[in-house]
Amino acid sequence: MNFWFGLMIGFKEISAHKFRSFLTMLGIILGVASLLSMFALTEGIARGMRERLAATGGVERVEINPKDPSEALQDLAFLSPGRTMEDVDALFKGAPLIDLISPELSLGNTAVSRSNLTLRLNASGVYPDFFEMNKLEIEHGRTIALADNDSVSRVAVIGPGVVEELWPENPNFIPLGETIRINGKPYQVVGVTAFCESESAKRKRVAGNGAAEDERRVRRGGHGKPQQKKWDTYWQKNHVVAIPLSTMFYDFRTATNADGSANRRLDRFSIRVVDTSLFEEALNQVRAVLDRTHRGIDDFAFDTREEWSDSIESGVRATRTSGSIIAGISLLVGGIGITNIMLASITERIREIGVRRAIGARQRDIFIQIIVESGVIGFIGGILGLIAAFGVMRLLVLLSPTENAPVATISAVLISFSFALAIGVISGIYPAWKASRLDPIEALRYG
Amino acid sequence: MALVELTDIRKIYRIGDQEIAALDGVTLSVESGEFLAIIGPSGSGKSTLMHLLGCLDTPTSGRLVIDSVDVSRASNDELARMRNAKIGFVFQSFNLLPKFDVFRNVELPMVYAGVSAKVRRERAMEAIERVGLLNRIHNTPLQLSGGQCQRVAIARAIVNDPKIVFADEPTGNLDSHTGEAILTLFRELAQSGRTIIIVTHDNNIAARLPRRIEMRDGRIRIGVEAEVSNTAPLIAGIPEDRAI
Repeated sequence: MNFWFGLMIGFKEISAHKFRSFLTMLGIILGVASLLSMFALTEGIARGMRERLAATGGVERVEINPKDPSEALQDLAFLSPGRTMEDVDALFKGAPLIDLISPELSLGNTAVSRSNLTLRLNASGVYPDFFEMNKLEIEHGRTIALADNDSVSRVAVIGPGVVEELWPENPNFIPLGETIRINGKPYQVVGVTAFCESESAKRKRVAGNGAAEDERRVRRGGHGKPQQKKWDTYWQKNHVVAIPLSTMFYDFRTATNADGSANRRLDRFSIRVVDTSLFEEALNQVRAVLDRTHRGIDDFAFDTREEWSDSIESGVRATRTSGSIIAGISLLVGGIGITNIMLASITERIREIGVRRAIGARQRDIFIQIIVESGVIGFIGGILGLIAAFGVMRLLVLLSPTENAPVATISAVLISFSFALAIGVISGIYPAWKASRLDPIEALRYG
Repeated sequence: MALVELTDIRKIYRIGDQEIAALDGVTLSVESGEFLAIIGPSGSGKSTLMHLLGCLDTPTSGRLVIDSVDVSRASNDELARMRNAKIGFVFQSFNLLPKFDVFRNVELPMVYAGVSAKVRRERAMEAIERVGLLNRIHNTPLQLSGGQCQRVAIARAIVNDPKIVFADEPTGNLDSHTGEAILTLFRELAQSGRTIIIVTHDNNIAARLPRRIEMRDGRIRIGVEAEVSNTAPLIAGIPEDRAI
């Protein structure tokens, strides 16, 4: 039998019982909608997390953190100077497999002020690699150079968020050469970093949705601006205050040890591996160098992003798997519904099947006809399910944070749809087999 | 060689451990172009005989040859092909597909024969014209009278140009006037060379056909090679002495 003729019969059967067919499809529709929204939701979360990971330096970045030395060396721990600038110098010379070394001092809750405006922010004492390490681009002016560290200059690079808040009257002001005070000490602004935001936030802003959302927020009694989240990666990047490490040391850190001696330890210490395929080698190199500078005391540990990245992927996989199972159950229930209705439908049409057999339809023609019919139910259900899924996603976009907005990938759409189609065809197998096995004589006599 | 050749056909049904011979040694031959009635009371085996002749079933034993094809041991698919190409059916209750219009109903056997859409259209129109329903082509069976439905069924039966057309009580659901018209249509088909076999219990109809086969208890009881008689004498029962 002609396939197109079969399709036509399928559509005819469905349009002859519109409401019944819709109810039959409902299981498939809901299954596909939940499957696709679930895919889109996890994909959105994964993208948001990956983007955040990349925005803070990517997987190549390794933090060198302090840790308690192993038990055998505990008594000798005082021998190690900890993480100091000596480590930095030694790594510059002794670890060619890393390309960026960023030592940092930090000063929490620092008063950053201009005339009568004061902000409470974290300030960092940095080396030039700080900017590339943290994926900060310079929009205006320059970075903190090695020369600034050598000459202990009072210069600062600040983020656009700081500019916006210190010069609220003039949002597009470029404050190069202006003086700001950091804990009372005057610093000259030599650079401003570029504005950072997530891809989805950017898309939203470009599309102009932001304005409407702000308006809604105002109506709800909030602020016109999005709520500022200090834990947010992008917020932190936009509110960076960076000064030379040496200047930070002399201005704010000279005598902080209990015995009055200078605390020479670094607060943060990050390196970047040149090539992730040589990740282990690079870390071994760094470990060898630091073992020397720390006099054999293992009071440091590597915090790699690989684990972070792995945990993102495994988290997404786990969510996707459990979500798929739930959506799959819904699809399965939909499939059982189709089987049920197809069985009822062939019982209703036993005589028709008899007539078709009498005028020359083979068993396989009947089989194909029933399979095509239930396949068509799956097909239409799949399409309606996709439409429903996009509706659900629009709703989710409004509810979820911008950087986790659901993303429907082509493959997710195709997978969800093929599932619906497959369920439709599979549910038809038993009714089709049953219909094709009908004895034409008895079928003709039926009813 | 005859168009249809039955040699010692038996059809035995098994119900529980009881064996019931619906056909008990039937031998018969039908020539091409014959116009023939199969009559008999219910339970006489006439339906079973028609099912075998119509390739809806195969005999338990014996030899059944239709148009030089031995179908006594044919597979399901072979039987379907025979029904599609060589046999047309007309039923008492028309058995049209209610959701399809006249054209689609008539077209259906050609769909299973794999005929192209263009040829399907031509031949369906020809068959519909033959039964005089060209003006009702897009009506569904529900919009047609009984007589018209039976004409559609006849068009469907002849559209694949079969050698034999079976009609199972074709006038049973029609009033006598309409039934007459349907019989006339069959007569015309027979005159144009097709073999027509009508299964009926209505002696009134059977008596007017050139040949009658009466079934009783699974056997052929009488074969009457009668002249076509339009005066249609009412025969209440066939006398014993005319049995072969």
